[in-house]
Amino acid sequence: MEDKIWKEGLTLLDGAMGTMLQRGGALPPGTRPELAALVCPEALTGIHRAYVEAGSRIVYANTFGCNAKKLAGSGHGVEEVVAASVAAARAAAGREALTALDVGPLGELLEPLGSLTFEGAYDLFREVMEAGARAGADLIVIETMTDLYEAKAALLAAKEATDLPVFVTMTFEESGRTFTGCTVSAAARTLEGLGADAIGLNCSLGPDQLAPLVEELAGATTLPIIAKPNAGLPDPLDGHYPMGPEEFARALVRLVELGAGIVGGCCGTTPAYIAAARAALAGKVPGRRTYRPGSFLCTPTRCLELGGARVIGERINPTGKKRLRQALQEGDLDYVLDLAVQQEDAGADILDVNVGCPGVDEAALLPQVVKKLQAAVSLPLQIDSADPAALEAALRVYNGKAAVNSVNGDPASLAAVLPIVKRYGAAVVGLCLDEKGLPQTAEERLIIARRILDAALAQGIPREDVWIDCLTMTVSAQQEQARETLRAVRTVREELGLQTVLGVSNISFGLPRRPLMNQTFLSAALACGLTLPILDPNRAEMMDAVRAFRVLSGEDGDCGAYVERFAQADQAPAPATPAEQAAPTLREAVCRGLDGEAGRLAREALATIEPLALVEGELIPALDWVGTAYETGRLYLPQLLSAARAAQSVFEAVADHLAKTGAAPVKKGGLAVATVRGDIHDIGKNIAKTVMENYGYQVLDLGRDVPPERVAEEAERRGLKLVGLSALMTTTLPAMAETVRLLKALPRPPAVFVAGAVVTEDYARSIGADYYAKDAKASAGIAREVLG
Amino acid sequence: MKLDVTEALRYLGVRGEPDPDLAAQVARTAEELTNRLTPRYTYQVFDLTRAGDGLRLAGTEVVLTGSTAARMLESCRRAALLACTLGARFDRMLLAAQARDMAQAVVLDACGGAWVEAGCDAAQAEIAARFPGQYLTDRFSPGYGDLPLTLQSGLCALLDAPRRLGLYVTESQMLTPVKSVTALVGIADTPQPARVRGCRFCAMNKTCTLSREGEACGR
Repeated sequence: MEDKIWKEGLTLLDGAMGTMLQRGGALPPGTRPELAALVCPEALTGIHRAYVEAGSRIVYANTFGCNAKKLAGSGHGVEEVVAASVAAARAAAGREALTALDVGPLGELLEPLGSLTFEGAYDLFREVMEAGARAGADLIVIETMTDLYEAKAALLAAKEATDLPVFVTMTFEESGRTFTGCTVSAAARTLEGLGADAIGLNCSLGPDQLAPLVEELAGATTLPIIAKPNAGLPDPLDGHYPMGPEEFARALVRLVELGAGIVGGCCGTTPAYIAAARAALAGKVPGRRTYRPGSFLCTPTRCLELGGARVIGERINPTGKKRLRQALQEGDLDYVLDLAVQQEDAGADILDVNVGCPGVDEAALLPQVVKKLQAAVSLPLQIDSADPAALEAALRVYNGKAAVNSVNGDPASLAAVLPIVKRYGAAVVGLCLDEKGLPQTAEERLIIARRILDAALAQGIPREDVWIDCLTMTVSAQQEQARETLRAVRTVREELGLQTVLGVSNISFGLPRRPLMNQTFLSAALACGLTLPILDPNRAEMMDAVRAFRVLSGEDGDCGAYVERFAQADQAPAPATPAEQAAPTLREAVCRGLDGEAGRLAREALATIEPLALVEGELIPALDWVGTAYETGRLYLPQLLSAARAAQSVFEAVADHLAKTGAAPVKKGGLAVATVRGDIHDIGKNIAKTVMENYGYQVLDLGRDVPPERVAEEAERRGLKLVGLSALMTTTLPAMAETVRLLKALPRPPAVFVAGAVVTEDYARSIGADYYAKDAKASAGIAREVLG
Repeated sequence: MKLDVTEALRYLGVRGEPDPDLAAQVARTAEELTNRLTPRYTYQVFDLTRAGDGLRLAGTEVVLTGSTAARMLESCRRAALLACTLGARFDRMLLAAQARDMAQAVVLDACGGAWVEAGCDAAQAEIAARFPGQYLTDRFSPGYGDLPLTLQSGLCALLDAPRRLGLYVTESQMLTPVKSVTALVGIADTPQPARVRGCRFCAMNKTCTLSREGEACGR
């Protein structure tokens, strides 16, 4: 049997296994199908054999659910079941067919939606892959995936634990998305980047519904395409699949014409379907591919195509930002998320993420930040670090296709960074400098750019994924360098055709009217072919220049986006002057949840009154009014939270004021909250946290599904005075009790309050908690009682 | 399928006439949510057989123990098991909202609750249409009354919910994605009282003697 038969021509896979096992009756009722190789190996081999005789050149061993999670409680281990299942398939495959280790989903949602971590999923998969390789599988098929993150964990495990070829197929709905929202193109570009040998689609739909998805896939990958559809869409009540073998085979021909080269059947198909497919496909070859090279970054839900002006948000970088540095040192990732969300809402396309500062272990923190951001932000990330270990750790947990910032022309840098970029299928920013420094002319920079490109190509990184940064110098220090940088951008774009990156605001250091200089330089650079400006998207003049440029370049067709944005803004009536509308007082602004107004009024007030007087004299009374109104049913939770947000902007004004005057912050610490182990729904805890923060408490959020030991450890290490715990289900109450027990056994036990849908006052007392919080407002009262 | 905005407001604690700003926010959020995604559901009908300490879904290992199931299904020979979810995309929306504005997140959470109930209503209507001349009980779920939460994994497995809906059960028997429901609906030959949803929804609300005396059978 020759290797890698799927690389050319057409390869026939097998059909359903579950359908056949049920039909054959060899498997006693109630037996887990994963155990078929132990219970009825001959019957299993018989099914595989029937597929080989029908024409399958690759058969899937019966290992779909053979992972430690699904086999738990079966009395059998992964090694044993995988070995027997692969052996049963190999016995049938003989020399005519290859045997694939079949790897399905783990049966639990991964973080951030479920409690299984990426690393935990990787370990479970790795065990299966190692067992499969030892058992003699010829290749690995990862299939029926609906979560790109889980597919990535499995693919990394397969590639790192074995030398076998790896296929990956995912399951899509007719909408072209998986259950988790992943698109065909995002999956394709991510999985190809990670080194899959063939990718495709299986299950869920029939061949007819799969056709448009195969077409999309053909445009998004250079890899061989797999299609393994069901025998049509099943009847919802009895699960019957409507398509017969001939009809199925005819529909499969269409998929081959669209470019699929590796085809078979999923649910509802039998050897008769494969035999019919073989007959229908005789002499056929996969249709010509429509792949269009392009530069992309991806999240699971979206592919961002580069080429026009795409803004990289620069705010997540602690250089020169005291507050961010402090947040990173304290592990306050909410602050980082806040910066990300602001930039997304301001129109950034990509977010640069840099956490390098003194006192921070980048290789540990960067992946945490990546996980935090990708849970709530839908923009792709550019991972920015000088530490290759941190880059690798972050790329590993990134869900999608990211960019790396950066490599440079120094051979040491190329050798350290490019292999990581290749391994994780990222794009990379190449800086036009090397061990000898920054060259002064555009020509010399082009030489370095070429060197970086050649090194990347030699590593197998496609040229579309190499972005060049020609480097912005400060114009007040080296005036002639502005021209050279612009010339270099134009040359890289025109001669090499690569994406170009520039940090724009470096240009204006030391000059007055920096925004004017930045905006002018940005426009000039865009005109020279800059495609990826790095800037602060919160600066309206910068984003507006990008929007205007998109019109001039033709990217914003019919000026649609430009007109939509600015026509209305210009027609809107001028805001009423203070004399025309009754201006709210600070108290009113907080009570009504007018956060912008509250922040502005607070800044005004701080010109004349002390911060503490403002907080105690204005803010707290307002919050008390809101709290009472909430408790008496005149206001509801959203309004309470809007007021909390307005209070937050007052606190921010106070913090800024104190930072300017160098005084100590007024936030009161010593408080942490967590959702107990096993509990992954945490909106209640987050609500309480928001309310408490806006009463001036600094709340450490330990997260959700937190083991009791971790809560106790943090409480002890940080000397916490108060810990809040939430549990939503009766099944997680024991974890709450255990957490309280550990906290109370500490040398200096914190006060503990508990909350959650199933928690009662009596229960709180029975487990030794000091307080029961019936709602978020009550938590703030408890904090006040304990912390003052 | 229609998202009941009043129901969403009720989840937010609103009784009676809501504040107009809040009502508008809920309506806006409901519209955005229903445009973005649709509940997915699946169901299967089982005969019920007596098992030692409860009712068995015939042909399966699942036994519905406790007095809640016994009372809800007392006159039923069959029951439908249904599962409905808004899917992982709702969780992502909720995470994104929480990162921006907690007040809006709370409104979205309430709308999500009402939307998944609308999905269950649609599933239940479909079941009813398949059994003309028969009567459905109210739907009830693990955790309601004394129906054990530990049934969740068995029920989801019966429905093949991970594959069909992308609906999973954690080790602590929590359903993920966050807005997901599993429920049982009895199918009976005789009209069934509205034990869970209240007299307003009961088929017998015109004739019920208990209700005339200010009582209800559902307690």
